[in-house]
Amino acid sequence: MIKFITKRLLIAIPTLLIIIAFGFIMMRVAPGGPFTNERALPPEIERNIQEAYNLNKPLYEQFFIYIKNLSVGDFGPSFKYKDFTVNELIISGLPVSATLGLSSIIISLFLGSFLGIIAAVKRNTYFDYSVMSVSLVGICVPSFVMAPILSLFFGLYLGILPTSGWNGGSILNLILPITALSLPQIAVISRMMRASTIEVLNSNFIRTARSKGLKSSYIIRKHVIRASILPIIEYLAPASAGLMTGSIIVEQIFGLPGIGRYFVVGALQRDYTLVSGVMILYASLLIILILITDILRAYLDPRVKI
Amino acid sequence: MQSTQKNIKNNDLLLEVNNLNVFFNTTDGLIKAVNNINLSINKGECLGVVGESGSGKTQTFFSITGLLSNNGYCKGSAIFKGFDLISSSKKERMKYLGKSIGFIFQDPMTSLTPHMKIGDQLSEISIFHDNLTKKESLKRALEVLDIVKLPKSRNLITSYPHELSGGMKQRIMIAISLMCSPELIIADEPTTALDVTTQSEILNIFNDLKNQLGISIILISHNIGVIAETSDNIIVMKDGSIVENGSTYNVLTNPQDKYTKLLLSCIPPWLDV
Amino acid sequence: MRLLKKTDNLEMSYSLKGRSLWVDARRRLFQNKAAVISLFILIFISIISVFGPFFIQYGFSDTDWSSIYQPPSLENGHYLGTDGNGRDLLVRILHGGRLSLSIGVIATFVSVFIGVIYGTIAGFFGGKLDTFMMRVVEILYAMPYLIFVIILMVVFGRNIYFLFIAIGAVEWLTMARIVRGQTISLKEKEFIETSRALGQSNTLIIIKHIIPNLAGPIIVYITLMVPSVIILESFLSFLGLGVQEPLTSWGVLISEGSREMETAWWLLIFPGSFMVITLASLNFIGDGLRDAIDPKEY
Ligand SMILES: Nc1ncnc2c1ncn2[C@@H]1O[C@H](COP(=O)(O)OP(=O)(O)O)[C@@H](O)[C@H]1O
Ligand SMILES: [Mg+2]
Repeated sequence: MIKFITKRLLIAIPTLLIIIAFGFIMMRVAPGGPFTNERALPPEIERNIQEAYNLNKPLYEQFFIYIKNLSVGDFGPSFKYKDFTVNELIISGLPVSATLGLSSIIISLFLGSFLGIIAAVKRNTYFDYSVMSVSLVGICVPSFVMAPILSLFFGLYLGILPTSGWNGGSILNLILPITALSLPQIAVISRMMRASTIEVLNSNFIRTARSKGLKSSYIIRKHVIRASILPIIEYLAPASAGLMTGSIIVEQIFGLPGIGRYFVVGALQRDYTLVSGVMILYASLLIILILITDILRAYLDPRVKI
Repeated sequence: MQSTQKNIKNNDLLLEVNNLNVFFNTTDGLIKAVNNINLSINKGECLGVVGESGSGKTQTFFSITGLLSNNGYCKGSAIFKGFDLISSSKKERMKYLGKSIGFIFQDPMTSLTPHMKIGDQLSEISIFHDNLTKKESLKRALEVLDIVKLPKSRNLITSYPHELSGGMKQRIMIAISLMCSPELIIADEPTTALDVTTQSEILNIFNDLKNQLGISIILISHNIGVIAETSDNIIVMKDGSIVENGSTYNVLTNPQDKYTKLLLSCIPPWLDV
Repeated sequence: MRLLKKTDNLEMSYSLKGRSLWVDARRRLFQNKAAVISLFILIFISIISVFGPFFIQYGFSDTDWSSIYQPPSLENGHYLGTDGNGRDLLVRILHGGRLSLSIGVIATFVSVFIGVIYGTIAGFFGGKLDTFMMRVVEILYAMPYLIFVIILMVVFGRNIYFLFIAIGAVEWLTMARIVRGQTISLKEKEFIETSRALGQSNTLIIIKHIIPNLAGPIIVYITLMVPSVIILESFLSFLGLGVQEPLTSWGVLISEGSREMETAWWLLIFPGSFMVITLASLNFIGDGLRDAIDPKEY
């Protein structure tokens, strides 16, 4: 187990390094970036910048310094928010984004799998058809259409839910953003779970279980779910990536001060340090999620050796 | 021939199938896979069912045990000890399935749940039907593993299907069907996926089950040679219908149907019947 | 000479069998009502997007300060209303459709092109090369790729051609995986072995035998990829990182509409509906094609 995790982490390190290098190179080559000489600056300011970013040192040394800073969790100063470091911005947005992301992933996984299993067991009934139609809506209506429509309907038309703001994380303010964020994932997960459950239900080992005269509910609990949940486990990381990008939109539309909001503002203002900091943070999160996926898969499927 | 069957029928008839038809809804319309089948089996007897692949052997017995796939349905009756398996509700049928009737499938490689330990797959059945505790039923599992001649049974209990060979898996399948001391075992091509040595070992187990435990066996195969030795009676199926029906001796020595003769010509000559 | 003839037959029989497979698939597709209706809707939307603007009296960037925020009406010819600059919404939606649809198609082809080449090479040559190439895919899969696209757009400016390439370049991963799997299973087939025995070069085998046989999964995948590319483009445009004024796309229109929905709901609802209907049609066609090419009975 420990060996397995170590091995996985060893694979993760080059991945992270590639991402960091990408961010680093981007900052150096980007037009209008912090380190190109598009503007004529007074020499002393130029020198100050050079010193602050170690531009007078060779490139590889700059890279090492950058990585060294990152390894202690220092993303450097923001390029546009003069008085803030990237760390400060990320930390201020984290509670919002983490609340949104965690609740959405939990809701999507549980609700999606649950609906998918029931739809598969009751396939070709009205329950199945309605779950599948609703999930089709979730797939075809992207979050940036769904979110404004939700806020138009529940916020402006019915006036029962606030349409924007964080308000200290009050439940009422969270309902619409979480719904907009989770709906597409619930849709995808329930379809996936339905398809994989149907496949398992048609498999030979379920026929064996049925030939034993066992109760259906028992067969589903013991024999079906553990096999049919595997594709969902594989989907954990892509789903989280989807939520991360989705939250960029949702935070924007509902005016929530999360990391995604900073990312968009950073991108529009070409705040390279902020943007690459967010990218590295998200990539690290995804790498951890992939590790969790591998462990879960090995736990659920005894054929996988770890 | 008819009259001898009738005689035994009155003594201890176990299963009697009358006018069984099986249909499938497909995109090309309704298919009739089994056509008006009648058969019966007595206590302690072995009935052999032969026919080329696609002749409806499997679907006949799937329909009796309620294992047809979703697009299939059946008509007719299958009276097991006075109880009609076909017209009964699923709940009533479940009392017999796994308890009095065991089913063994063609493909042992995929017939066991990959993520469950062998011990659990054995014990769940008697926990459910016989209300045994987990501990009692594991003890029972060790007994049946002995019957199917699996050495070092204790280790097997904690292993997973992928750690076993095809022959071992098929023995586990037989062991599962034996857990609740059934009266009838339906074995659908139990040796087709196995190599020749394993094949004869498995057939020996069936012989023992019949002769020592008195369990009735329905042995299905596309190869008449496989079932000839164990069966008391044989039915021959083609295109969903029975084309020949009689005692093994009669069918083998004096086949009436052209198709049976063809099947017999495929038996290796050294087989002594 | 004789050998050559033999392969000719072989190829012919294979393509004959292939043809009847396609005939079957087409029959099954046309039996699928949802797919057929969707196909008509999609063709309709494409045609009106391309030709519609020629028949509308307003240009897509004609401003008219005397009629701003006009609700949809039949009388004044603004059938879907106007925006805050008095521009006709219908003609803007149709123009946006041109852009969204063509980005969907072009970027998809870029990604299919990369994915097919990458996947066949990995699958066909196998071994260490395959392991390495698939590891790369696995690593790229782990990346928050949309964030990559955003960064690429930031770095290289908001150029529409670059948008095609950036989207195509991140969407090829799944295609590569599918193609690799198919290639591996095709590689073992008899007709490939025969070609190999005849001394045909690897490139020839890949081009003549492998790639044509990938047509089924590729077609299915294209229909499922076009909608995701359209969403991606709209997503970027929504954030202000995609298509720029005076050009417009559905994403741009939805973005403007969502900012002004309190005063003019039609600015959000109509572009949104066009997009959602297109996405749903593509989804139905994709599902229909998948069931037609690889029928599974549930
Ligand atoms: N789910 C199904 N749908 C349609 N036809 C089926 C289905 N299952 C079996 N059949 C058809 O029923 C016939 C009998 O099959 P089967 O009983 O499995 O033959 P076998 O004698 O080889 O066991 C075959 O022709 C098969 O195509
Ligand atoms: Mg069969």
